[in-house]
Amino acid sequence: MAATAVATEVAIRPTQVRRASAGFWSDAWWRLRHDPTTMVAIAVIVALVVLAISADALADNVFNWSFSKQNLEQAYRKPTFDDPAFWMGADNLGRSQIVRLLYGARVSLFVGFFGMLVTMTIGVTMGLTAGYFRGRWDDFVVWLVSTINSIPTFFLLLIIGFMFRLNAVVLPLFLGALGWLGICNLTRGQTFALRERDYVTAARTVGASNVRIMFRHIFPNVIPLIIVIAMIDVGGLILTESALSFLGFGIQPPQPSWGNMLSDAPQFYFRGAHLIYFPGVLISVTVLCTYLIGDGLRDALDPRLRGSFAADRKG
Amino acid sequence: MGRFIARRLLQAIPTLFGIMLISFILLRVSPADPVKLMVPSDAELTEQDRENLREALGLNKPLPVQFLDFVTQSATLDFGKSFYYHRPARDMIFERVPNSIQPVLLGLLVGVLVGIPLGFISALNRGRRSDHAIRVSSTLLNATPDFFLGLLFVLFLAIQLKWFPIGSMNVVGEDCVLCWDRVWHLVGPVLLYANGGIAFYPRLIRTEVLEVLSQDFVRTARSKGLRERVVMSGHVLRNALIPVVTNFGGILTIIFAGNVIVERVFNWPGLGRLFFDALTQKDYPIIQASLVMGAGLLLISYIMRDITYALVDPRIKVR
Repeated sequence: MAATAVATEVAIRPTQVRRASAGFWSDAWWRLRHDPTTMVAIAVIVALVVLAISADALADNVFNWSFSKQNLEQAYRKPTFDDPAFWMGADNLGRSQIVRLLYGARVSLFVGFFGMLVTMTIGVTMGLTAGYFRGRWDDFVVWLVSTINSIPTFFLLLIIGFMFRLNAVVLPLFLGALGWLGICNLTRGQTFALRERDYVTAARTVGASNVRIMFRHIFPNVIPLIIVIAMIDVGGLILTESALSFLGFGIQPPQPSWGNMLSDAPQFYFRGAHLIYFPGVLISVTVLCTYLIGDGLRDALDPRLRGSFAADRKG
Repeated sequence: MGRFIARRLLQAIPTLFGIMLISFILLRVSPADPVKLMVPSDAELTEQDRENLREALGLNKPLPVQFLDFVTQSATLDFGKSFYYHRPARDMIFERVPNSIQPVLLGLLVGVLVGIPLGFISALNRGRRSDHAIRVSSTLLNATPDFFLGLLFVLFLAIQLKWFPIGSMNVVGEDCVLCWDRVWHLVGPVLLYANGGIAFYPRLIRTEVLEVLSQDFVRTARSKGLRERVVMSGHVLRNALIPVVTNFGGILTIIFAGNVIVERVFNWPGLGRLFFDALTQKDYPIIQASLVMGAGLLLISYIMRDITYALVDPRIKVR
C-alpha cells in the first residue's frame, strides 16, 4: 500500500495550483523563479556584488596584496596556483591582477547601478512632468531631448573626461545627465495615455495634488517597463565606462577599473595576454548578465512580449 | 514632399541652437581655461603674456559676443589653427575624412551582408536550433565591448594567424589608397566595424520579419496562391528592410564618433584618432571643430533618416 500512497502523492503535486489571487508582483516573481537563465544571471551579478563589497577583506586576508602594491620582479607573471595573489597573474608593474579585478568590479558595478539610478531619476521626473503638465514645459523637454540626442554622446563624454578628472562618483552623474533621453520619451508617452484615464480624473476630483497623482497614480503603472530598461541600462553604462577608461578618459589610475586595466593592452600582446583576457571577459560576462536579467524581467513582467529583445528597446 | 523636408529643416533650427549653446558652454565657460590648456603650467609666461593670449583668442570679450563669434566660426567652419601643428583645424579634419570613410563603409557592407541574412534565417526558423544559436551569439556580441573584441582580433587573427597587421594603414614607405597593401591593413578595422552590424541586424530583422509575417497582407498574398518565394521577396523582405534602410542615416555618425575606439585599437589615422590625439595633446581648436562638425553631421543624418523614412514607407503621412 505504501507504493500507492507515494504514487498518489507524486500525482497530486504537479496539480497543486498557485493561489488564484496572486498579485501582479508575486505572479512575476513566480515566472522569474522558473526561468533558469535569468536566475543564473542574477546569481552571477549578486556574486560579483558580494565579491566587490568584500574586496578590502579579501585583499587583506586571502591575497595579502593591496591593489597598488608593486613588485617588479613579478611583472607579467603568468597565472599560477602557487601564490593566491597571482591566481590571475601579475601586470606590467607586478601588481596582483586578481586583487585589481576585485576593486575594478567595485567601479564597474557602482558606475552601472548608480548611473542607472541617476538616469532613471532624471528620465522619470522629466517624462512624468512633461507628459502630465504638457504645454510649454513639454515643448522645452522635447527640445532638450532632441538637442542632447543630436550631440555625439561619446565625443562629449571624452571631452568631459578630458576637462574634469572623473572618478567613480562624478562619472555616473555625467552618464546619467546624458543618458536619460530614452527613459524620458518612454515615461512621457505612457503618461500622455494614462493621464486621461478615469481613475486619474477620480483622484483629481477628490482633491489629490498633482505630485500625488503623478507619483502615486501614474508612476506605478510605468514601473514594470522602467525596471526592464533599467537593467539593460546598467549593462550599457558599464560598457561606456569601460570604453572611456580604456581610452584613458574615465576612471584614472591608480584606481583600477576593468576598462583602464586594458589601456596599456598593446604592451601586453606578446608578454601577457592574460592581462587582456581576464578584464575583458569580466566586462562581457557582467554586461551579458544584465541583458539576460533585462530579458527575463521583461518576460516575467509582460509575458506577451516574450521572444523580443529587451536590449533592442533601450534607445 | 518638399513641404515635409522644409518643415523638418525648420524643426532643426532650435536643435542646432541648442547644440551650439551646449558646445559653447562646455568649451568656453567650463573650469578648464583654454589658455591653461594651451600652455604647460611650468612654461615661463608672465601674467601679461597670458592676457595677450586671451586677447588674441577673443576670450576677453563678453560671453554673448563670444557666443556669436563661436556661431560664426562654426558656420564658416573656421575653427582656428591647431595648437600643435599650426595648420587650420578644418583642413586637418577634411584630410582625415577619406581615411575614416573607407573602413566604415566596408565594415557596414560586411555587417549588412552577414547580419541581414542571419536575421532572416533566425526568423524563418523561429524556435529551432539555428534561431537559438543566432540569437545567443548576437546577444553575446552585443555585450562584448568593442575594444575588447578588437584586442581579441589582434591577439588571435593578427598575431597568431597573421591575417592582417597589428596596426596602421600602409606598410612604411607605401602610401596608396587602393592596393593590396591597404586591403591587408583594412581587414582588422573592417571586421570590428562589421561586428556592430552583425550584433545588431539579426535581432532587428528577426523582430521585423516576424512582425510582417503576422500581417494580413502576407496571408492575402499566400491565399491568392503566390509562391512562397514571391511572398518572401516581394512582400516580407521589402517591408522588413524598412528599418535597415532608415538606419543608414547613422553612417555619418559612425564616421565621426563611433571610430575613436576602432582607430585607437588598430592605430588607424582617421578622424577618431585625430580627435583622440587632440584630446591627449590638449589641441583645443581640433577638439572644438570635431565636436561641432560631429554634432552637425549627426543632425543632418537624423534629418536624412526622417526623409528616407517618409520616402520608403508610404504609410508615413507628411505631417
